[in-house]
Parts: sequence; C-alpha cells; structure tokens
Amino acid sequence: MAELTADHLPAVAHDDHGHMSEEEHNNNMKLGVWLYLASEIVIFSIMIVGYIIFRINEEDIVAQAHEELGVGLVTANTFVLLASSFFMVMGLRAMQQGNRAGMLRWIGLTALGGIVFLGGQYIEYSELAHLGIVLGFDTASEWSTFGMRFYAPTFFHGAHVFVGVLWALEVLRRGARGRYDNNPIGIEMFGLYWHFVDVVWIMLFTLIYLV
Amino acid sequence: MATIAVPLGAQAEQQEAEAIRRPALSEYLRWSVDHKIIGVQYGVSSFLFFLIGGAMAMGIRLELWTPELDLMVSGAAYNSLFTIHGTIMIFLFIIPMWAAFGNFVVPLQLGAKDMAFPWLNAFAFWLIPPAAIVVLLGYFVSPAEAGWTSYPPLSTLFSGDGQTLWALGAHLLGISSIMGSINFIVTILNMRPPEMTIWRMPLLCWAVLATSIIAVMATPFLAGALTLLLLDRVAGTTFFDAAGGGDVLLWQNIFWFYSHPAVYIMVLPGMGVLSEVLSIHSRKPVFGYRMVGLSSMGIAFVGFTVWAHHMFTSLQPELRIPFMITTMIIAVPTGIKMFSWLGTIWGGKIRFTSAMLFALGFLSLFVIGGITGVMLAALPFDIHVHDTYFVVSHFHFVLFGGSVFAIYAALYHWFPKVTGRMMNERLGVIHFFFTYFGFLFTFFPMHIVGMLGMPRRVAVYAEGFQAWNQLISLSAFVLGFSTFIVVYNVIKSYYHGPIAGANPWRALTLEWQTTSPPPPTNFVDDPIPFEEPYGYGTEASAAYLDAVDEAFSRGAPNPASGH
Repeated sequence: MAELTADHLPAVAHDDHGHMSEEEHNNNMKLGVWLYLASEIVIFSIMIVGYIIFRINEEDIVAQAHEELGVGLVTANTFVLLASSFFMVMGLRAMQQGNRAGMLRWIGLTALGGIVFLGGQYIEYSELAHLGIVLGFDTASEWSTFGMRFYAPTFFHGAHVFVGVLWALEVLRRGARGRYDNNPIGIEMFGLYWHFVDVVWIMLFTLIYLV
Repeated sequence: MATIAVPLGAQAEQQEAEAIRRPALSEYLRWSVDHKIIGVQYGVSSFLFFLIGGAMAMGIRLELWTPELDLMVSGAAYNSLFTIHGTIMIFLFIIPMWAAFGNFVVPLQLGAKDMAFPWLNAFAFWLIPPAAIVVLLGYFVSPAEAGWTSYPPLSTLFSGDGQTLWALGAHLLGISSIMGSINFIVTILNMRPPEMTIWRMPLLCWAVLATSIIAVMATPFLAGALTLLLLDRVAGTTFFDAAGGGDVLLWQNIFWFYSHPAVYIMVLPGMGVLSEVLSIHSRKPVFGYRMVGLSSMGIAFVGFTVWAHHMFTSLQPELRIPFMITTMIIAVPTGIKMFSWLGTIWGGKIRFTSAMLFALGFLSLFVIGGITGVMLAALPFDIHVHDTYFVVSHFHFVLFGGSVFAIYAALYHWFPKVTGRMMNERLGVIHFFFTYFGFLFTFFPMHIVGMLGMPRRVAVYAEGFQAWNQLISLSAFVLGFSTFIVVYNVIKSYYHGPIAGANPWRALTLEWQTTSPPPPTNFVDDPIPFEEPYGYGTEASAAYLDAVDEAFSRGAPNPASGH
C-alpha cells in the first residue's frame, strides 16, 4: 500500500472535462456521418452492380433505351446538381467567415438546385412513362426488363435528393436563428451528405446515360 | 495512505449520496437517452422475444414428436412456424441482445459518460418495438413461409402478405442495427480516456468494434436486397424472377453477403464476453491479448469472403473450391481465440461462478459448432448433409451453444453492476446444468439424424427417425424449462439478492470502478484505467483493487472477496 501512486487510483480528479469539448463533439459528428455514408454506398452499389450486369447482358435493349432517353434534359439536370454542390461549399465557407447572411443565401441556392433537379427528374419520368417504360414487369412491353433497373437506382437517388432538400431547409431554419454562428459543424455534416448524393449521381449519369 | 484516502473517500461519499438509488421501473418504459437505461430496455425486450421464439421452438418439437402432422394443420403452417422462430431469434433476440450489453457496458468500460450520440441511441432502440409488431402481425395475417432466409421464389411467388410485412420489419431492424453500430464505432474510437490506447482497451470493446464495423458494412446489403424484394412483391418488378428477366440467385448472393458476416455480428460480442469472464473469474491476464483483438478484426474481414458456402448446391462448380478455402481460413482467427481462452484459464485460480460455468459451457459447445462448421465447409461432406438436420445442429451449436451461453455468462457477470444486487449462485448452477444437458441432448443427436438423411424444414419425416426425434424433443422441453429458472432468478435477485458493492468480482476494467448501479453520469470524476485491463495477479493490481474496495465499500458484503 505504501508505494501506491496516483497511477493506481481508479478515480482522481485530474482535469475537469465533464462535458464533451466542441472539438470532440465535431469529430464524433463527422465520423458518424462518414460511417452513415459508407453504409449508403453499399445500398447504391447493389443497384449499380445490378445495372452493370444488365448492361453487359442486354446490349440491344440498352442501346435502344439510349436512343429514346436522350441526354439533353439529364445533362442540364446534372449541371444543376453539380452547381448546387458548389453553392454548398460557398455556404459553408461563408459561415466559417462569420457571414450568416451569405451562408443563408448560398444554402438557399443549394436547396433550390435540389428542387430543380427533382423537377427535371419528374419531367423525365413522365416522358419515359409515355414511351411505355414503367417500373413493373409487363410481358407486352419490349422495355419490360429495362424499367426496373432504370427506375430503382434513379428513384432511390431522387429520394436522397428530396431528403437533402428537406435537410437544407432545416439548416436554413436553424442557421437563421444563429445556430451555426460559432460552430458550423451542422452545415458541414449536411455538406458531406450533399456532396455524396452528387457523387452518386455522377456515377449513375455516366453508367446509365453515357456508356 | 492518508494522501490517497481523501480524494477517494470524497468521491465515494459523493457517489453514494447521489446514486446507489436504482432507476424506478417506470423509467425503463419511457424514452430515455441514458445508455444504461437503453441497455436494459434492449436486454429485457430481446429476452421477451427469446421467450416467444423459444415457445415456438417448443411447438416445433411438439410437432416433430410423431412422424405425421398432428399439432399443425398443414405443412405450410409448419413452414411459417419455423420461419417466425428463426426471424425472432435472429433479428429480435440475439442481435439486439448484444446491443443491450454493448450499450450498458461499453461506455462504462471506456470511462465515458454516455455513448457518442445518446439521442440516436434511443431512437435505434425505439425502432425495434414497431418493427417487432410489424413482423409479428405478419405472422397472424398471412404468414411468411420462406424460412428466415426468404429465398425467392418462395418469398415472392408463394408467401402471403406476411412476407411483405416481414421484409418491412426486417428493414426497420436493419436500420436500427446500423444506427446503433455507427454509435458504437464513434464511441469506441473517439471517447476513450487519454490513458487508454487502443491496445489497452477491454476485449469486449474490441469485439463490439469489430461487430459494429461488420454491421455498418454488411447490413446495407440486407437493406438493398429487402428493397428489391419489396419492389418485386409490391410494385411488380421481377428482380428475382427468372420468368421476367430477373435472377433468383441474386437474392442468395446479396442475402448471404449480409448474412454470413451477420453470423459474426451474432457471435463476436459473445467472444468478447468470454475473454472478459474467463480472465476475471480465473484471475489471470488474457493470453495473447493483441492477437485476440486482431482476430476479431480478422474474423470481420474474412467474414466478407465466405458467403457463397451457403450456396454450394446452387453455385457454379468452379467457384466452390475458392469459397471452401476461404471458409476454412476463417477457422484460423477463431482458433486463435479458442487457444487464447484455454491459455487464459490454464493454471488460473478458477472460480466456478455461474458466469464462469456458462463461459466454460460456451468453450465446450462452440468448439463443436466450429468443427462442424469446418466439416460443412468441406464440399463433399456438405453436398451429402446439405439441408439436413446436420446443418440445423451446426448453427444451433454456434448460436445457442455459442451466443446464448455467452449471453447467460454476460448476464450473471454484469447483473450485479446493472442492478446493484448479486444473482443467486445456487440457482445459477442449477440453471447451467439444465441448460447445458438440455442443449447437448437436443442438438447433438441432430448431427446423427442429419447424417442419416433427415431433411430440415419438414413436418412429416420417415418413421425410422421417430426415436431420435422423441429424444430430441424431450431434451428440448428440458432446455425450454431451464429458461424459467433464470427468469425466476433474475426477478428474485432483483428484489432480494445480496448487495453487490462496486466490484464484486474484483475486476480491473473501468465499469467496476464505480458504484453498482452507476450514477447517471457513470463516474463522478474521470476514472483512470489500470495500466493493463487484464493485469491480474500483480501487486500493483491488488493495490488498485484494494483502493477501489476501500473507496466504495461502506460495509457492503463482498461475496467474491479474497484474491
């Protein structure tokens, strides 16, 4: 007992960090979002791989689909989504420089970009529906096996854009109240998500429309 | 002496004033973000599902008492019974049960005040009741009949709407599991005290970390597969229907790419528990600590490369051998753990507590399950016993003989910390013997009927198997009965068990360096971990433990004193 030193003690007051520091909190949040995105990649990759296998096996149907799909609208849409990612970066930068009004403007543009993208996707889906490309299997349609492989990943991605728009609006609401003035981590987390959605779209765009 | 008595004394008094109080039972029924409450919520609810799933197993064994249909109205009814039995046991019992121990113990072992994301933690738990309701409702509406693995076309063209509800429920449970695992990873990586490097982390934390990495990377495969299954069932797609340009094997590939890693989700935390319990109850350091931690990661990694061994009969023949090899490789990190456990208790001062008995039970049963696993990996043997009771026996040896025995070991080991009371050891020993022999005589004979050719998933079997099946059913009823002993023990001990004190097992990990139950913030001051989490048998560790005893014992009887 005599040589007992502080090292042996189970509990001695050394310094007082009863609550998590801001840095710890931010690190936790960021790691959490990264892990969440890792799990999202898996779900998307199932649909992407499913599409690739289809693409390899059914070249004719895909070639025909490419003719019908056209890339005009979707290219514009892709550009809008890319631009919104840029707005996102500018929004975070504005907040880091303490410019709340600038942040609100840029994040507002980000949300708008997402909405425009969803609108474009809606128009595209309606046109495809007119061509007879539908989700369910239909023996009468020559498209019957293409529809599900096209709609599943693009709609799943669209749902992510929709959630992203809601998230952006929430960031705007909180940001307007000064929530991020001292710690913009909330904007950064949304940014990670938004860039991820963007990157997934670039993959889908390349795979489904270009090659 | 005087110099140390002051801060410790102050700490203990402060804690006693604040907290020896147990949370009121009503606090467990409400939304709470305290990881200790959530841990108990997970534990009690999954144990209830264990009882329900167990009652269904009794129904299965009753049906199999005779070779004809008697209890069930049809083979389809029998199909839905074992489907819901498997679903409940895997998705609603074992996986959330490990979240229970992970939640309660991991933040305490790390000396943290809570998990990294307390709100997310509560949310992940509260997804389970609605998911369970959806799955169970499905059973009563028009039940799923495709087994817990839900292979199409059984699950697309033949099962009723219950299969859709099954998929929705499984989806919710998957989301819950992913959120819980993200929380564990962030907590374990970011919230250790500065003194605790990753190589000084308790092995339960290593195991939960490996488990959570698997859950985050594998469960989304289930989510993706279920999404496609739901589309096939509801939206008319044909992802899994060859007649519509789909691929039946796609489901088997994606499902097992999730579900094989998921069997390690079900057993890795149990392996962590084993390292804790065997070391503490035999007063010896864990043998080969680093290799044990790394072997958890090894299992997590190799676990992703073996999935197609579930598909030996449907796989392209040239792919069988590679999967046979990877499957056998995974026995290596598991073997490392086996030898570490034996090395740990070798020459130790073994105390045959209930927790220790169940841990030793795990050792003896899991090794059989592991060996039959390697047997099944051997292609020629697998083709012979494919879809027979040999397979049923194998996975019950690893999931019951492994996971459930580890769950019981963990229960007896941490119950004093959770409730502040010791469990009744005599009842614990009785429980152990009923469970062990009930288990052994239920599942060991299944190897034999399996090799003799009795197929699994049938209600009507050849008459020659009746004697074996009656032996199996009788033992299963003993096994079922044994559960009531532990339920009685838990309730009785919760109210009347002897006061446990802070550290009844004289353990070095941090969860024992606070009151039982711990105060809401877990520790009054930041605790300093002992230099080695399992450094038993040294003078320094004895001094550390004496200091803890002195700080926290205020006349509380210490049932495990003497070291």
